[in-house]
This record gives sequence, structure tokens and C-alpha cells, in this order.
Amino acid sequence: MMTEMGALTQPSRWQKIWDSLSILWQSKVAVAGLILVLFWTLTAIFAPVVTQHEPNVEDAQARNEGPSAGHWLGTDHKGRDLWSRVAYGGRIVLVKWPVTESFWIPGGVAIWGVLIALAVGCTLGLLSGYYGGWVGEVVMRILDAMMAFPTILLYLIIIAAMGASATNVVIAITIAGSPGIARLVRGLALDIRTRDYIAAAETRGEPGLWMMFLEVLPNARGPIIIDAMLRVGYAIFSIGTLGFLGLGLPPPNPDWGSMVQAGHHHIFTNPWGVVWPTVAISSLVVGLSLLADGLREESLRYQ
Amino acid sequence: MLVRDYMTKHPLMVQPTMSIVDAQRFMGENNIRHLPIVGDGKRLLGLVTRQTLLVDPGRLGSLDVWEITRCLAGLTVQDVMVKAEHVIIVEQNATIEEAARIMVEKKIGCLLVVDDGVVTGVITEIDLLARLMEMMAARVPGVRVTVRQPNVSGELAKLVGAIAAQGWGIRALGGTPTPKDPSKWDVVVKVSNVPKDEIVAALRKVDGQEVVDVREV
Amino acid sequence: MSTELEWITEVDDHRIKTPVLQVEDVAISYETRKGDVPAVRDVSFDILRGEAHSIVGESGCGKSTVAFGIVNFLGRNGRIVNGRILFQGQDLVGRPQEELRRIRGDRIAMVYQDPMQALNPSMRLGDQMSEVLIVHRGMEKKAAEEKCLEMLNRVYMPDAANVMRRYPHQISGGQQQRVVIAMALLNDPALLIMDEPTTALDVTVEAVVLDLIAELQRVFDTAIMYISHNLGVVARVSTKVGVMYAGEIVERATVKDVYLRPYHPYTQGLMRCVPRLGMDKRSSFLYPIPGRVPSPANLPPGCVFEPRCDYSREECRLKRPALRAIEPRHWVRCHFAEEVAQMGWEPPEEVLADLATPAEFDRTAEPILKVSRAKTYYEAPSKKLLSREKLYVKAVDDVSIEVIKGETLGIVGESGCGKSTLVKTVIGMEKPTAGEFEFMGVDISTPVSKRDLSIIRELQMVFQNPDSTLNPSFTVGMQIGRALRRFKTVPKDHVRAEVMRLLNMMKLGELYYDRLPRQLSGGEKQRVGIARAIAARPELVLCDEPVSALDVSVQAAVLNLLMEIQAELGTTMIFIAHDLSVVRFFCDHIAVMYLGQIAEIGLAEAIYSPPYHPYTEALLSAVPIPDPSVEQKSIRLSGNVPSALNPPSGCRFHTRCPRKLGDVCETAAPPCQHMTDEHRIHCHIPLEELREMEMVVSIAG
Repeated sequence: MMTEMGALTQPSRWQKIWDSLSILWQSKVAVAGLILVLFWTLTAIFAPVVTQHEPNVEDAQARNEGPSAGHWLGTDHKGRDLWSRVAYGGRIVLVKWPVTESFWIPGGVAIWGVLIALAVGCTLGLLSGYYGGWVGEVVMRILDAMMAFPTILLYLIIIAAMGASATNVVIAITIAGSPGIARLVRGLALDIRTRDYIAAAETRGEPGLWMMFLEVLPNARGPIIIDAMLRVGYAIFSIGTLGFLGLGLPPPNPDWGSMVQAGHHHIFTNPWGVVWPTVAISSLVVGLSLLADGLREESLRYQ
Repeated sequence: MLVRDYMTKHPLMVQPTMSIVDAQRFMGENNIRHLPIVGDGKRLLGLVTRQTLLVDPGRLGSLDVWEITRCLAGLTVQDVMVKAEHVIIVEQNATIEEAARIMVEKKIGCLLVVDDGVVTGVITEIDLLARLMEMMAARVPGVRVTVRQPNVSGELAKLVGAIAAQGWGIRALGGTPTPKDPSKWDVVVKVSNVPKDEIVAALRKVDGQEVVDVREV
Repeated sequence: MSTELEWITEVDDHRIKTPVLQVEDVAISYETRKGDVPAVRDVSFDILRGEAHSIVGESGCGKSTVAFGIVNFLGRNGRIVNGRILFQGQDLVGRPQEELRRIRGDRIAMVYQDPMQALNPSMRLGDQMSEVLIVHRGMEKKAAEEKCLEMLNRVYMPDAANVMRRYPHQISGGQQQRVVIAMALLNDPALLIMDEPTTALDVTVEAVVLDLIAELQRVFDTAIMYISHNLGVVARVSTKVGVMYAGEIVERATVKDVYLRPYHPYTQGLMRCVPRLGMDKRSSFLYPIPGRVPSPANLPPGCVFEPRCDYSREECRLKRPALRAIEPRHWVRCHFAEEVAQMGWEPPEEVLADLATPAEFDRTAEPILKVSRAKTYYEAPSKKLLSREKLYVKAVDDVSIEVIKGETLGIVGESGCGKSTLVKTVIGMEKPTAGEFEFMGVDISTPVSKRDLSIIRELQMVFQNPDSTLNPSFTVGMQIGRALRRFKTVPKDHVRAEVMRLLNMMKLGELYYDRLPRQLSGGEKQRVGIARAIAARPELVLCDEPVSALDVSVQAAVLNLLMEIQAELGTTMIFIAHDLSVVRFFCDHIAVMYLGQIAEIGLAEAIYSPPYHPYTEALLSAVPIPDPSVEQKSIRLSGNVPSALNPPSGCRFHTRCPRKLGDVCETAAPPCQHMTDEHRIHCHIPLEELREMEMVVSIAG
């Protein structure tokens, strides 16, 4: 009886949070991913603190230089500090979204894009997965048609039509991402719909919105969160590509994709201008997918 | 009355890589004298008996002490076993008298039952003796009568008819040529739940036959 | 007569019964994140040649782990840490993989609960069976196929030649299990390990498979290690049994000794908490074992059963008892087994206080639920591409029942007989095709979404699967509270207090309020599910196999709880179950369903004694009874339940009926014959003949 009483005492709130995080530490893969992601996030947030130079200040004396004590990662063809540009470049994807010229909200373009795509995708997926019927079929067929487009083509069309701005990038990520999320959520909902607790809620006569968002959605959260992490990675990748094609965020603000674009003209005289932003993009994307993979592995092991 | 009904199924068997030291211990622990050696799918590869495990002294004569130990430790059952083609076997669909015949002729007490090369059981002299015991209803109380009759067909029917006429049941019945007199035939009958005297009286009446032994068991 | 039987059984005496399998002090541990967890400790037993030995225990007691240990299928994180496993004299522990694989293939076979685990879904059955012989024995394809056919006939597979050409999904579950058994016997193994081979099967099919196992064991002289949680099945198949609890064998002896004279307090407790066929709630009680099974990571230092034992003493807490022989061939792991056996057992006071007297109901009262001529059809996709003709699965076809306020109606029948569909139609999750449904004077032939909230709250349901009955994302308190808020049973500020009251009523305690479903055991989840259903104080609770997935000791507690609720709140219940002993114990009226129709309906005691419907008779004779002294008639049904898509004409049972009269059964629907006002049997056999039937189950001697 004593052991049972011991087991029954309630853990504190902090204990609970720590427990749910402990799943992270179990996987070396997830920890490696987390370190990479945290590195770039913290660098972006504290960019003014961790850099010696302004990102847009051109130093005519030091063009195309390699790494040195003065410029940790070297300089680009205009003599701008590469470390500083890389650090600030992370801000737009991870830390701040300039909704308009003068107004910005925390959370980067990639993150907001995926969040909005999640909202849209989950709603559509739940509608078609939980309710089914011909409405669901029609919604899914339209989304299937959208998924038939190559993602990058979709981005190009949207940005080309609406112009290059941070907000339009967010819209592009939303449009390109929500069909995939909807399909995932629909699959999960179709499965969860057959569980007894759904039947129990139905026999209580619960309204449809309650069923979708409180009975079905919370139980689909694991795969959705993991999918979202991977999607943030893809979004960062796509933003980089757009930047490289000249459709990214307007200059002179540092942006990893445009940095590669600018640097690749001088690749033989100064490879650093291309190397660092590329390293930044790929390490962040790799970090996110490692994190997602590690979490998936661990959460599967728990079952 | 076929071998498959009375054999011991699932005999102990071992793989050919077992060392002879282990095999010797294995046979001792499990109190068996015949050890089939099998490969994949219980296919018979050979047979090891206590005799085969005795190492030929001639082989050891030329070795010194250290070499003997090494030689013994390295030997496995496949080095000493009787190869499958020389093992005396019986099929499970053979009759038990066939098994007995083989055992008597070859002077062995145990036969491997092998079908299409696969070991399915063993049948021993004990199994056959147990059959004899049951055929003669050794454990059922009753009157056991031995009747000597001419070795002519129809005589047995007369004897059985006499018992049947009384309404008795026969518990066991067996016959064999009279020792040293091929013209006679000894028949053993066992009848239960009938007084000895009544049986003897009834059998005495059978023409040309002689009650040579009566006992209550 | 009896002397002659003895005489025959003694024939094999001269043969020394050598053990095929000797398990000595085996301990198996699983490596987990929190360190090594001992799943099995100090397990010793032996199985003689041609003997059937059972291992029985509740879920998680390590019985399957022992089996996996023997065949070395423990997985990456499991290992045998101690002991020897001698198979035909040779130790299996620590042997190289290759050798083990050969022994396993040739001399040990295993049959699992799910036959599809052993069958390859993409190969024809004949091919995968003969492959065993071709690969292992190097047989010719032709000869191998002949041998397989012979083996299929041996296991009484109907139309064996045809089955050889089929794929696994084209035959029924019972037949799949037969194929797996035939496949296991192809190599003529010395040891056959069966891990719950009949648990997924219907009771009628189970009975046939158990008969088959018993016969094959005799013919092939194969030693069988039979693992099961079902005490009745164990009593039927085996001669010896080992009772496992928390990774240890606590008692081992012949089935007769263990069932009729158990020494260990746990075994005694188990025997007290299974309802025997014929027991009912008004004349007897089920005594659940208090507490719960300790987790393997957190075992008590002394006797593993000490925390739940009624006889526990100081010594039990400190010292682990050893498995000792208390009588010749009867082993017990208890310090005080002799004293326990002498003392007898009185239910402790706290248990007595929990036992509710079952609710009485007024038999003459107006029915609260009236269902007449109910039909629920599902549209089946037509197989022809362009056919306009619609096919229907007639899940419920012309069923009429009435339920009186305060009573319990039991519904029994094989799977696919439509009992769940009937209940789902009543609660509004399925739309009825035809028929009248009246509940408390209101028409309820509408789906739940169109019903008034005041009717919805009066009809609630308890589900079968404890693992999916609760939403994993919300705490217990929130889930029960939601029902209270939804139906406004209590004012908003009283919800928490009401949830606490319900939790106490379920004997869970208030600490469970903030727990998540994954922190609960199966029985606890089921209690929360019941609390959620009765939160709205409904008139009628529909229970769809609420105890089928639970262990027997937990099952007893949940049944007692349901009885208590009924006594306290006067709730009416419809109770679906496939376990006929449980239904007999728990229900006042019972309806026997077959293929969407009612075969027999009446008071519980009337159903379980003659006259029977032939189907009821067959069901009763198939129930495994955990009592070796009971004599049971052996009536076996052939074949499977026919498809509800195209049910047989006339009486639907005529294809399998052992008492079929003739053409009339095939052509005319059976008349409804009234034995008494309440007891009706749908059968062509005249009443007088039905009355002459014998009792199926009787106590011997």
C-alpha cells in the first residue's frame, strides 16, 4: 500500500515539463539537432551582442578577405563582415517577421509560415478526415492537385505574382505547406475516428468543432509536431533558394540565399562568401531534421 | 501392431559436432545406450553406442601423453559414429514381429525407426517385451491354461469353440510350436472371472488335445 | 468398465517418462532505460514426453517471456541471466545461434495467438507449408505437398485440397489457426509451445481447436507447453499446470490439485474471482483480489504476493519463499501454505463491505426500452462494376427486445452475430433500416446527432477496450468533468466535487483526478470509463464487453462495481459479453443472438437449463469451465458463422445445427415458441422434444 501512495503523489508542474523534455535527452540524434538549432536561434536573437561589425557596413580596405581576428569568418566582395551578415541573416527566418516595412512581430518567416500552414492544413485535414463525405473528398482532391506542383515552382509562381516581401514569403510557405499537412492530419483523423473515446464523445452528442479540435486533434499532435519541424527546415531551404534566385527578401538586409547569390560571382577569388551562408542553411536544416528524427524515434520507442 | 504404434517417439539425439566427451556424459546422464547423430531436419547421419565411444587402443599406442589428451579433446561424435548407411534401422510402418526378427537376427536390443532418412523414433527390446506381456494379459487376473494340440489346422478353432460354447471371453491367446516336437502346438489361453475347475473340465472335453499346465494368476 | 480403462492407460508404464523440457531456476531480464527489469525469476518446471503442461497467469506475469526464453526470441534487450533450460537433455542457454535455430526448426514448434503472425500473407498456404519440408528436409515438391495435404486432413481441415491453393486471408481465423498447427506439426516436434492459441477465437471454434490439440498430443506424442490466461481452457487441455504471478511460479501441480485444492493464497484468490457457469449474482459473490500486480521494476523484497495477501505476516515481508513440495508432485511458493490450507478463508471485512446486494427489479413494470422488429443493414460495395443491384450486410435483422427498468439484459453470441450493432443502433451511432425503437416513451430511431440532449443523457455507453476508451490527451478529471458540464448534471462550481465523489465511488480515490490515462492500469481505465458513463446519471447504460479485455481478478472487481452502481442508482443495463459464465452471473435476462437474429431469449436460469435452443446448447457445451469436476456434454459446431451478406434461408442456424430436422429448417423461418411468457425459443423442433433435452453441464459425482 505504501508504494502505491508514493506513486500517487502529484509531480510539480516543473517536474512535468522536465519529464516531457527528458525524452529529448534520451536520443543523441535529437540532442545534436537541438544544439544546432539552438545555436542558430541564439545567434540570431543576440546578433548585435555576438558580432563585432554592423552587417551592412562596407569596409573598402578589407574586401574578399579570409577568416582573421578582425573578421572571424572573413569579408565579402564589398568588405562586409561575413559572420555578422550570417548572424543577422538568421533573424528573418527564425526571429522576426517584418509584416510591413515598419511593423514586425517575433518569430521568423519560416516559423510563421509553417504555423499558419498548420492552422489551415489541420482544419482542412480534420474536416475531410473526421467528417468525410463528399465535402471532404472535394477538399482533398483540390489539395492533391496542388501537391502535384513541385513546391519550388509553387513558390516561384506565388512570389513572381505577388512580389518579393517577407509577408509574401509567409503566404507562399502557407500555400505550399498546407496540402501536405492536411493530408497527414486526414490520415491520422481517419485512424483516431475509430477509437472508443470518439464514440464515447459522440454518445454525449458533442458538437462537431469539439470533436475535431478537442477529441481528434490533440491525439494527432505527435506526428504533426515532428512534421512541422521538418517543414520549418524545408521552408528555410526554400527561402534560401528564393534568395539565390533573386526573389528573396529585398536587399541590403542580409539574407542567406541572397548572400550565396552575391558571393557566387566571386567564388574563385573568395569562396568564403558562398561557404558560410551555405553552411548556415544546411546546418540549420540538418539540425531540424535530426531533432525531428530523434523525437520520432524516441516517441515510437515509448509505445 | 506396427512399429509406429509402440516405438518411443522423439528420441534424444545430438548434432555431429558434439565432442565424444560430452556425448559420453550425455548418454550417462540420460541413461541411454544408443545415440542417433542427426543433421538438419533430423536426418540420420550416424549412430553412437557405448562401444563406439571406446577409443581404439591401437590408435593411441603411437601417441605420447600430451597428444592423447589433445586427440581425445578434438574428437567429435562424427569421427567415431557408425555411418548412417551401416546403421540397422526399421521403418515405422513395419510390423513389430519384423522389428523383432531384425533384432534377433542382428543380436541387438534397440532399433532406430527411420523414414526417408529422418529419425522418427526408437524401438527397444523392452517395447517388444511389453507387447508380449500385454498380448498374454500378464497383468489381468484370470486362469491361464496351456493346451497341447496337434499341429493341424482346425485344432485351434475347436479349442476356441469350446470356450465360446460356455459363453466365456478370451482375455489372451497365443501359440508356439511345442519345444522339441514339431508335430505339436502349445496354445496358451487366458480366461477371467471363471472358476479354474470349470475351465479345466470344459477343455478336457476337447478331442485330441491335452491340458499341460493350469495356473491362476 | 473402470478397471478396463485403467488397464489400458497403464500400458505405456514400462517406458520411462523422460522430461522433454526441464527449466531450472531461470531468470530473464529486460534491459530498459531505467536499468535491468527482471521479468521472470526462479522459474522451474519440467514437461514430460507427450504431456500437456500449462502456464497460467494474468497479463504481465511473464508467462510469454518464459516461452520466448526457451526459443531464444527475447529480442535485443532481453536475456537469460540465470538458470538452465534443458531440452531433451541438452542445455539451450548460451548455445550458438546457428545450433539453436536448427533445434528450433526441427524439434520445437511454436503457435501464437495471432495466426497471421506465422503465415505469409502473400503466399499460397500450400506453398508455404510445403516450403517447410522442402527447405528443412530436402523433400521433393510433390512429396512435400502430399504430406502437407495429409497433415491438413489430420487437423480436420474441411476441403483441404482447396485450402492448399488459397491465400491466408481467404480462410477464417479458426482455419488459419488450424493451418498454423498443421504447419507446426509437419516437422514432428518433440515440444510444441502454444501461446494463447485460442484467445482470438470464438468459443465454439475454440472448443473445436482445443479438442484437436488434445487429440494431436496423443497421436504425435508431443509435449505441449500451453500458455493461457483462461483457467477454463487450461483445465480442458492440460494435465499439469503452473500458476505464475509477477514473474514467479507460485504453485505447480496437476490440474485437479490446483483447481480443487489450491494451497497458494493467490491461486485460491483466482479461483474465487472467476464466475463458474451456473453461478448468479443473487446466490453468490465474486471476491476480487485487492491491490494490483507489482511492476517488475519495483518488486516487494519478500514474497511477491505479500502486499495483496490476506494471510501476510512479518516473515512474508522479509523473506522470499522458495518453491517447495508440499505434497508429492505439488509445489507451492508460500511460507505458510499448510496453515493457510487449514485456516480456510473468510472474506475480510473491507471486502464484505464493498459487496453490494444486487438490485431487485419489478418484473411486472413497463419496459423502459422497447425495440421491435429492428433491422440495421449496411450497404456493401457491389462486386460487379456496373451492377445496379445493392447488397446489404444484414447485421441486425428483425430483432425485438424489451428491457424493464432496473434489470440487466445480457446479449451473447459469437462475433459477427450483430450484438454490437444492435446496441450501437439503440444508442444512435448506427441508423436503423427499419423497426420501432422506443425509450422512456420517446422514439429513438434517429441518430444521436438529431436527438434531444435530455434523451442523450439518459443513454450512455461503456466500451470494451480499456486502452482506447479514454482520450489519451486529457486527465481523468477533465474527461469525467466534461460529461458533467455537457449535461449540466451539477452546477458549474460543483463539477470538481462531483468528479471527486464519482472517483471515490469507483474506489479510485481523489488523487486520480490529475492523472493521464497512460498512467492507469486497464482496470482503472475501465473504472474511469464507467464513471464517465454514469456521470450524467443515465437511465440505461449499454455495456459492450466491458470486462472482456481485463484480467480475471480485475474483472471481478469491475463486475462488483457495476452491480453496486446498479443497486445504488437503479440503472438499467444492457450487457454484451462473449463469456457465458460472466453473463450468467451478471444478467437477469439473456438474449442469445445468431447471425442478426434472436435464437432464444428469457430469464438467465431458463437459458442455462433445458429446454435449449440447439445453438444455446452448443454454446454452453463449448464454454471452457475452470473446474475439473464438472461434466460437460461435447457438442461441436462445424464450420463458421455464414456471411451476413447472404444469410442462409429458413432458419439461419440450419447450416451448422446438430439437431437439424430436415427440409423445413432450410425453407421456413423458425416459429417463435413460448416456453413461458418470458422465455421464447425460435426453432422448428417441437416444444415437447426441446423439453426432453439433457442438462449440458453437470457436476460429476
